[in-house]
Amino acid sequence: MKPILHTLIFLFLAFSLKGQYNVFQTFKDTRVINVHSTEILKAGRLDFRVGHRFGDMAGDAGGWANFYGLENASDVKIGFEYGISDKMMIGINRTKGSSDLRQNLNALVKFKLMHQDVGTGTPFSLAVLGISSYSTMPSGAPGTLSEFQKGVHRASYHGSFIVSKKVSYRFSLQLSGAWTYRNLVQQSDRNDLVSIGAAARFQMTKSLGLLVDTNFPVSDFRTSENGFYNPIGFGLEWDTGGGHIFQLNLTNSTGISETDFIPYTRSSWGDGEFRLGFTISRQFTLN
Amino acid sequence: MKSFVLFFVFCLTLFFVNYETEGISLANASVASALEDLGVYDEAKKPNYTLKNVSVEAGENLVKNGFGVKPSGKKTKKQSKHFVCTSCHNVVKEDIDLSNPDPQSRLEYSYEVGIPFLQGTTLYGAVNRTTYYNGDYDKKYGDLVKPARNNIREAIQLCAVECAQGRELAKWEIESILAYLWTIDLKMTDLIFTPQEVSVLETSSSSKEVKQNKVDIIKSKYLKLADAHFVIPPFDRSQGYEGITPDPFNGKLVYEQSCLHCHENQKYSYLHLDNTLHSFKYLKRKTTRYHPHSLYQVTRWGVPVRSWKKSYMPQYTEEKLTNQQLEDLRAYIFEQAK
Repeated sequence: MKPILHTLIFLFLAFSLKGQYNVFQTFKDTRVINVHSTEILKAGRLDFRVGHRFGDMAGDAGGWANFYGLENASDVKIGFEYGISDKMMIGINRTKGSSDLRQNLNALVKFKLMHQDVGTGTPFSLAVLGISSYSTMPSGAPGTLSEFQKGVHRASYHGSFIVSKKVSYRFSLQLSGAWTYRNLVQQSDRNDLVSIGAAARFQMTKSLGLLVDTNFPVSDFRTSENGFYNPIGFGLEWDTGGGHIFQLNLTNSTGISETDFIPYTRSSWGDGEFRLGFTISRQFTLN
Repeated sequence: MKSFVLFFVFCLTLFFVNYETEGISLANASVASALEDLGVYDEAKKPNYTLKNVSVEAGENLVKNGFGVKPSGKKTKKQSKHFVCTSCHNVVKEDIDLSNPDPQSRLEYSYEVGIPFLQGTTLYGAVNRTTYYNGDYDKKYGDLVKPARNNIREAIQLCAVECAQGRELAKWEIESILAYLWTIDLKMTDLIFTPQEVSVLETSSSSKEVKQNKVDIIKSKYLKLADAHFVIPPFDRSQGYEGITPDPFNGKLVYEQSCLHCHENQKYSYLHLDNTLHSFKYLKRKTTRYHPHSLYQVTRWGVPVRSWKKSYMPQYTEEKLTNQQLEDLRAYIFEQAK
């Protein structure tokens, strides 16, 4: 708990710094690596997104046998997102899913409530995100989380407040508080799960940026003894300048959707259970 | 019969009476109305208000915001999803001496009054010009410029469809834009007259010669067309244009009044530029190379439209950005990128 506290104190100190630069693009994309950023698509922009997480690079399931995970796919996401206004976006995507819930259809809505503005003195940006996920897989074996006795057992939800600050033109920070609710969980688990997220971006050049993000589920059940780990990701982001963002990442989370990687990350960096992943975002102006 | 003859004689007398022409007011009069007083009319350019929905307000909205507003309050579909007229054109006066527009004076004036320094000619006074898409624009648009060159309505439509890569304007929208353009026509106070010319213009006379002299004086004070000549990038981009001593401060004005107008916060482009080291280093890295995003390439040849990406960058003609100014811009970028 102590390292988490130290991290939070550091982040809040950073948030109190006075911004000196343009607050355009605190993050370049609507996602950092796993977590959502405070960025919203501009009104009329359509974003086609493809995300991929390969298999374990190292550890028991990685190595040469499956070419360091490149021959496996932990999760795949394909979806579209659209900017309704400069303060609201919606999206729909399909994820393969990496936990007991597979073949998921996910819908999201995100609102930007505040935008960091040095001129008006608004110190940070604030967004609120809502996600619902519905598994379309066939009902599984009795006693598993994929045994859907009712249709509602297929659904899970996620909501979060996201606060970000562009500290300098190179460096951005983000904190989030989230609540994830799954309609069906194991008996020893709870339906609702509170988590804290943190993310940062360091812009090396105009087009290349380094990213890091993590989530801390606040749950006595989610310990390494019970086989749960905090999802931590590192990424290299390349903005090609034409509305196209390409990101390479390394993360221990197998799932891409919040309703997947926050409650169900069971892979450990220490055991070599991290994987290569990428995200492609291509934006089009519709009107 | 007697009364009829008297009435006929009276009318005939009126017909032959030679009235004195009053002197021309130099204050608050439009150039067009001054010329009309001297017998020079251009009725064809006047908006057709008999069409439904035509209004100055709708025209102004189309020019500045990209959509029209009907009297019912209903908005039209956005004309272009990429640009509005003011992306590339000012709607205010941008040259001090309208008879001798000069890019450097324009840059300094733009900086002084806080307006952007753009590729397109200002729409202010567009109705006073007689031809459009002049000079080398036929190299870019081919035969499309033929109907537009002498017809302001066709010029507006060409600008909407080709330059803005948007939908065709409806007739009432073109008339509305024309109505708005007539509110920003040249004023007599915009023209610079010598004291002798002022005295001629203020003279009351019915003489045809004096009238023609007045017309000639007024018309000599502004250009009837905005010429356009395309310039090629320097052969050796690492050296730039030869024989120029650059002024980085002047380059700063170009960067701020021009580049940032479209690129800051991705206003009209996916490429975001700002005053950070990243932007300057990015531009510097591309400038000296034979690269499609080289500073020379994008300013002199523009960025082309592609089938999947209709947003593009129009090039700067010689009349809008001199080689000296381009070298100044390069010098400023290189200075900031250190």
